[in-house]
Amino acid sequence: MSDQQNDDDLPPVGRSWRNLYLAVLVNLAVLIVLFYAFTKAFQ
Amino acid sequence: MSKFDWVVLVATLAFIVAYGVWKGRRQRDLHAYIHAGRQMQWYTIALSIMATQASAITFLSTPGQAYTDGMRFVQFYLGLPVAMVILSITAVPLYHRLKVYTAYEYLEGRFGVGTRTLTATLFLIQRGLSTGITIYAPSLILSVLLGWNIYVTNLVIGLLVIAYTTTGGTKAVSWTHMHQMIIILGGMAVALIVAIRSLPSGITFLDAVHVAGRLGRLNAVDFSFDLTTNYTFWSGLIGGCFLALSYFGTDQSQVQRYLTGETTAQSRLGLLFNGLVKVPMQFFILFVGAMVFVFYQFVTPPLVFNTVERMKIQHSRFAPDYARLEAAHQQNATAKQAEVHTLVAAMRTNDAARIASATDAVRGAQERETATRKLTADLLKTNDPKADTTETNYVFLTFVIRFLPAGLVGLVLAAIFCASMSSTASGLNSLASTSVVDLYRRFVAPNASEHEYIRVSRAMSLLWGLFAIGFAEFANRLGSLIEAVNKLGSLFYGTILGIFLLAFYVKEVGGTAAFIGAIVGEAAVVWCSLFTNLGYLWWNVIGCVVGIAAAIVVEKMLPAREAEVEIAT
Repeated sequence: MSDQQNDDDLPPVGRSWRNLYLAVLVNLAVLIVLFYAFTKAFQ
Repeated sequence: MSKFDWVVLVATLAFIVAYGVWKGRRQRDLHAYIHAGRQMQWYTIALSIMATQASAITFLSTPGQAYTDGMRFVQFYLGLPVAMVILSITAVPLYHRLKVYTAYEYLEGRFGVGTRTLTATLFLIQRGLSTGITIYAPSLILSVLLGWNIYVTNLVIGLLVIAYTTTGGTKAVSWTHMHQMIIILGGMAVALIVAIRSLPSGITFLDAVHVAGRLGRLNAVDFSFDLTTNYTFWSGLIGGCFLALSYFGTDQSQVQRYLTGETTAQSRLGLLFNGLVKVPMQFFILFVGAMVFVFYQFVTPPLVFNTVERMKIQHSRFAPDYARLEAAHQQNATAKQAEVHTLVAAMRTNDAARIASATDAVRGAQERETATRKLTADLLKTNDPKADTTETNYVFLTFVIRFLPAGLVGLVLAAIFCASMSSTASGLNSLASTSVVDLYRRFVAPNASEHEYIRVSRAMSLLWGLFAIGFAEFANRLGSLIEAVNKLGSLFYGTILGIFLLAFYVKEVGGTAAFIGAIVGEAAVVWCSLFTNLGYLWWNVIGCVVGIAAAIVVEKMLPAREAEVEIAT
């Protein structure tokens, strides 16, 4: 149980899990903007 | 297909199978067979998750989807990264802490055995049918390649896949997935390069992209809020999120993948990596389909992509009618090719008037082609009411066979074959796990030996494989394969997700209310699928929301929490 807590506190990259979650969501937002620009640019 | 292609195909498959068997050897207990001893690192988990979801159907049907309907299917995946984050916060630590074999095992502690059995049964039905479609996909390849009867091909390929999947268990499945994903992505990249390099001289990549956009094949995002349209930004983000939450959070074929993680962190990283790369990967696969579409603007595409159906009509009493349609198609295609060249020239000079007139001309030719295809499909159906007229599944395959150089055809076919086998392996593996853990061990033999559980697991893999083959025989009547799989999942996933959300977050709801809520939620989904035109991604939302609401209402109507659940929680 304590090992698991340590895993949860510190991910191997990104300093905190919250930062990693944000990175995934920001990546999605950027992709949506790019897809929209792509759709409009070649419409 | 050349001898070199056969060598590449057989050698690749032999390597994968041998590697899987070697990696999956020495499994002596259920923990090793189902969870691979919980030794996997995040990159293996991530690739295994992706390979499980991306079956041969993805690589056969998705490019065809872009060819016929454009790239808007990518919106289907927009909710997935959000779901990966939610599951990393909620389900992953919970499953790891409880050390469950299956997701449904957790529900017994919360709601009692009835709800656990109901969700496990819904999963078995849905996954059993879906696995049937994944067996059907490579059968499709060989039936088109060799002209074999598809029903016989289903049986032969299905039995081969069963033989492979029953041997290695989860460890073999996860390790082979890693190599298969590399082969698969390599195969798709090769197809894209060939499509672009095969364009007529003077037509650049940018020209091709502009033509695809002008002809409506690069419609990646649609913000309109139309509940009856399957793929919009909103249905993808909201409905797709519900579907992904249910698929990755409650479907044992996926849960089993990340429960192999050595720690909670490894499982989380696997899911988050999937959240980062899944949407771009699907965009890439759809883009391959869009480029194949452009390629066929300069080269006359077959009027019927399905070789078997084309041969049937050419040897029927309707052959003269088909010949007339084919002549009209050829004439229209030749005219269209000239118009596409005019469009490209107009776009280069940025002449708005010429661009508009050329676009209209090409679109007119496109509409005439669509009308000819519709007449041809009607003719095929008149000749044989059981004829498979869904071209989506054959477009990419036809391109690969006809235009890729020797050796690369074998590589792409091996990639498609591997993808199908890996998804089938995950499906059968999870069906066996659920059958054994949630039904056999729970109700039939709670105290059997580990050896007995592994023996029954392998027997269950065989039985579910035979069931899947039976369903595969009907798969060619379901339309686009990729849509068929997702529609099938959407029939059940919302309800199952509702049960899990109740378990996670609505502590006052007990087992009886959750069970009744699930029945009401599932009834609502079935009603929507039969009597409304609602886009199927919304079924996930309906099943989940109605199920949760009904459970809360029922809970308030019940006099008191059942004793059994009080004890269980």
